[in-house]
Amino acid sequence: MSGAARKLATMAAAAATTTRAARIRSKLESLLETTVLEVEDVSHQHAGHAAVRESGGAGETHFNVRVVSPNFEGKTLVSRHRMVYDALSEELASGLHALSIVAKTPEEVAGKKK
Amino acid sequence: MAATAAAATKLTTLPISCPLFVPSYRPRIGTVTAVFPRVKTSSLSSTSAWARRGPTISRRASSFLVRSSIAGLSETAPKSSEDEFPAAAAVYAIYDGDGELQFIGISRNVAASVAVHKKSLPDLCRSIKVGIIDQPDKETLTQAWKSWMEEYVKSTGKVPPGNESGNATWMRQPPRKKPDLRLTPGRHVQLTVPLEELIDKLVKENKVVAFIKGSRSAPLCGFSQKVIGILESVGSDYESIDVLDEEHNPGLRETLKTYSNWPTFPQIFVDGELVGGCDILAVMHEKGELASLLKS
Repeated sequence: MSGAARKLATMAAAAATTTRAARIRSKLESLLETTVLEVEDVSHQHAGHAAVRESGGAGETHFNVRVVSPNFEGKTLVSRHRMVYDALSEELASGLHALSIVAKTPEEVAGKKK
Repeated sequence: MAATAAAATKLTTLPISCPLFVPSYRPRIGTVTAVFPRVKTSSLSSTSAWARRGPTISRRASSFLVRSSIAGLSETAPKSSEDEFPAAAAVYAIYDGDGELQFIGISRNVAASVAVHKKSLPDLCRSIKVGIIDQPDKETLTQAWKSWMEEYVKSTGKVPPGNESGNATWMRQPPRKKPDLRLTPGRHVQLTVPLEELIDKLVKENKVVAFIKGSRSAPLCGFSQKVIGILESVGSDYESIDVLDEEHNPGLRETLKTYSNWPTFPQIFVDGELVGGCDILAVMHEKGELASLLKS
């Protein structure tokens, strides 16, 4: 890692007072008004991944999120995923590498249970 | 690694209905029904030496023949290719309109294999002899095929044309993997059009384009690998392009994110529209929506 990159990483670490999982959780909650939200850090499953090594092996690169939000109503899967990505744009710009997304409306979840 | 191996197996597994491989004609002393002079290669075209002299049946082999429940080629009555065939494992011989034997094959589902042959070669499939095999293990199937081949070679002195080495008329060739698309022929090639325009052209001129990490034959990320597996399983004639290949696709990785307004890879485009990444493709595949979208 170059000196500049190390400095950046240190700055990022200083800014990150919470874990990425917690930040993802709070951003999705507030921006998408989620009724159900599950955030799972699966970075360990991708430990050998090139992008993970690039990030210095700091972890917090891969997450599974399950989001249920009324805001998804009438939206295609592509736009739902985009809404999630938009909400997390800062995280994606700072080392979040991949998200596995399940995005449903409360109605869809209720319908499935019947 | 385990996942890679599993996926690789999945991709190479042939559907059960396709004509099975036809084994190479390499005598293995001790296990075959007939012993003939060794030939150097397994190719049938080079077997004329033993074909002239004919195979010699060993004592051991003749005891095998007694136990074998498969009737010989000449003892089997031909059926019209219009007849119904059972979906069972069998050795089969296909004759043309002149009664000339064209091809001897084995299959785990002779009905399906005959249907495939009839569709691709209607003129060469007039009548068919079928020897059903009760124990459809590979060894038994191979033995049955060998015994019919030997019988034919012994009586005519030649190999059925469809079984000649290099003849690809009857056997399905292993699908050739398409090369990945490339934006430029190599390093230091200046693009004459903006990259966004090139991407736009690429996704609009091709029905299905998958932007992946790594090549289609060696994807470098689990999500890309999964996407390829799905596309292959629905039989899509997709194009792939490696976003990590900075030599041939310089800047693609970053520019595509802006073009598609999508921050991660893989990305799959159909008719110029982003369908989504791995998750969305998998959901659509589960719902059975994918095949129609990709083929319409």
